Amino acid sequence: MRLEKCWFCSSTIYPGHGIQFVRNDAKYVSVRSDFLGEFEENVSLLRSKIQEHIFRFCRSKCHKNFKMKRNPRKVKWTKAYRRLHGKDMTQDSTFELERKRNRPERYDRNMAEQTLKAIPLITKIRHHRLQKHITDRFVLPLQFVVCWTMKRFSSLINATPIFDRHKPGKKKELERDNKELEQDINMLPKKVISKVETLKMKVQVIPPQTQENLMEE
Amino acid sequence: MGSHGNNLFGAVSSSVEAVTRPFHCDAISQQIRTFIQMRTNLKVVDNSGAKRVMCIQAKSGKYGAKLGDTIVGSVKEAQPRGKVKKGDVVYGVVVRAAMKKGRSDGSEVQFDDNAIVLVNNKGELIGTRVFGPVPHELRKKKHLKILALAEHIV
Repeated sequence: MRLEKCWFCSSTIYPGHGIQFVRNDAKYVSVRSDFLGEFEENVSLLRSKIQEHIFRFCRSKCHKNFKMKRNPRKVKWTKAYRRLHGKDMTQDSTFELERKRNRPERYDRNMAEQTLKAIPLITKIRHHRLQKHITDRFVLPLQFVVCWTMKRFSSLINATPIFDRHKPGKKKELERDNKELEQDINMLPKKVISKVETLKMKVQVIPPQTQENLMEE
Repeated sequence: MGSHGNNLFGAVSSSVEAVTRPFHCDAISQQIRTFIQMRTNLKVVDNSGAKRVMCIQAKSGKYGAKLGDTIVGSVKEAQPRGKVKKGDVVYGVVVRAAMKKGRSDGSEVQFDDNAIVLVNNKGELIGTRVFGPVPHELRKKKHLKILALAEHIV
């Protein structure tokens, strides 16, 4: 039993799931004789081996996309796309365990035991590293953005009253400011003061006039 | 029947049905594959001399032959110097079928084309070589010679 990977989305295909599509393109791949040495009698002969493309799909969605001749590297939800565009972790030591080894290992009880113990550990580590990779993608630029805005708008941030609303003694500050403003106005020459007063008057008069207009209409 | 005969030469395989084509897809890639029945053209993948065989009868199966079944066929196209001539009635074992075949572990296999290997009425191979991939469903059907000669077992 072997857990395969879906050709399209790269998810694992468990036994009993999915479809295997065999395409017979006879690509002759010569296999080196010394590689076959362990289980081939005639070592000197170079044997040619056909490599058909066997496509495995985890579900009909992937199969249908394949039939539509879509390239998985361009389809956003596949692992191929994600790895290609740096959304997911590509190079890590934890992937070494899952690499396909064409040479079968001789059974050794200790090794088998250790491998079985290691598998959940390694998957956990890989999961954590993957999560970190993904959060870093968001967190690092976000930090940068926050720092930049703080720097850029620091003057504005300090000036707006909203930030000082809960500051104690704010009322007194306002009163002091108002007093200072009035004193400054009194310091001005008389012509300017009269203008300021007329402006104030004008502002007061306008509302009743509009009301009268409305009544007339 | 006349026009049907014209269509059949060489290319079209009647084991393939055309379905309502989705607007965004290629028509060929979305066909539902069905059984190998009368009038189905199959490719011959051994060196018996025949190139194409048209199925006359599926020996087993109500609807038609599937992967691993035997059929009776008429040779439509043959190489000039071979064990089999054009017009011969031959038996064949289906080694590749475009229709999905379920396996005992729950998975399904399908091939790219329909292909047979010519056999005599006792089940012995006429040719001496087999080309292309071959499924291990043949083991259950006791076609061990084909498996032995096969280049790749799927």
